[in-house]
Amino acid sequence: MVNKNHDLGTAHSGFNEWYWQRLSAVVLAVLLPGTFILLWTVYLGDLNQFELLDWIDSFVSRLLHTLLIVALIVHAYIGLKVMIEDYVHTGLRIVLIAGILVMMSLFGIWWLALIWAWGG
Amino acid sequence: MTETIKLSVFRYDPEKGGKPSMQAYEVPFSGAGMKLLDALNYIKWHLDGTLTYRRSCGEGVCGSDGLNINGVNGLACITPIAGLKQPIHVRPLPSMEVIRDLVVDMDHFFDQYRQIKPWLQTYSPAPEHERLQSPEERAELDGAYECIMCGCCTTSCPSWWWNGDRFLGPATLLQADRWIKDSRDEATGERLDQLEDAFKLYRCHQIMNCMEACPKGLNPTKAINHIKRTLLNRKS
Repeated sequence: MVNKNHDLGTAHSGFNEWYWQRLSAVVLAVLLPGTFILLWTVYLGDLNQFELLDWIDSFVSRLLHTLLIVALIVHAYIGLKVMIEDYVHTGLRIVLIAGILVMMSLFGIWWLALIWAWGG
Repeated sequence: MTETIKLSVFRYDPEKGGKPSMQAYEVPFSGAGMKLLDALNYIKWHLDGTLTYRRSCGEGVCGSDGLNINGVNGLACITPIAGLKQPIHVRPLPSMEVIRDLVVDMDHFFDQYRQIKPWLQTYSPAPEHERLQSPEERAELDGAYECIMCGCCTTSCPSWWWNGDRFLGPATLLQADRWIKDSRDEATGERLDQLEDAFKLYRCHQIMNCMEACPKGLNPTKAINHIKRTLLNRKS
């Protein structure tokens, strides 16, 4: 059932969300398989624990790791926000979106702290 | 002995009150060319004059008889009876307010169409003769101008079901793209401005029900993606 005369005009904001969702998807598509390849090489025994830690410790991998986490959070936040906008039509929508934003941010900050504090 | 067609048709008359129900009918099969509209006409003319539905041209041009046929939106007048599983379930277009039986309220649908200003907008002085278009420029409009605004695509779109008050829906966006592509139109910027909205345009999640439903074989999803790409080009 649709409301008539409900046109509130244009928000001029849809583009950025769409753009960042796609951009973050590309970053995820490039970087996410890397983590599985790393895991795989460990399981295959090609990389032992110390070599793995060395790799995680390196500046390049911290940088890539940071990019991955930022892309993951941006992507997950926009995705969940869009889903909530699709299905929740009450004031609860804002509360849920805000809640997810706070949770995602805390998770991101915590993870980034782990990445950059690792190994002193 | 003639073959009969079994139908189960949605009935609802708000003036009489009560709940909507499905009513069974049996109609003689009149031959290979028989369309669903022929069966509905037979019911109305010979069996039950109270059955209410819209139809006009009877050949897929006016877009009046968009219906939900065995769960899929389409035009009754060009849907052959032969390919349909029986009993044929005939319902009004989904997510629409029913006025009576198979007739739905299309006001909001056409309000949304009006929102995109579906007419030529120009600022340059009118030339002495027509505003001309090359055959190539005209060809850009193929796949959009054929739309008959029957509403089959828009009412099959889940995004429009959930957010139809704000999301413009595939039919309207296909037409928006038609005017964006039109070489004679000079309001492209304003048109894009009007569409750049998380709900009006970007609520399309490429589910592609619209493409499946379109009785004219058009592809609104492609048109929506073209609008998104045009906005992207404008920004980057």
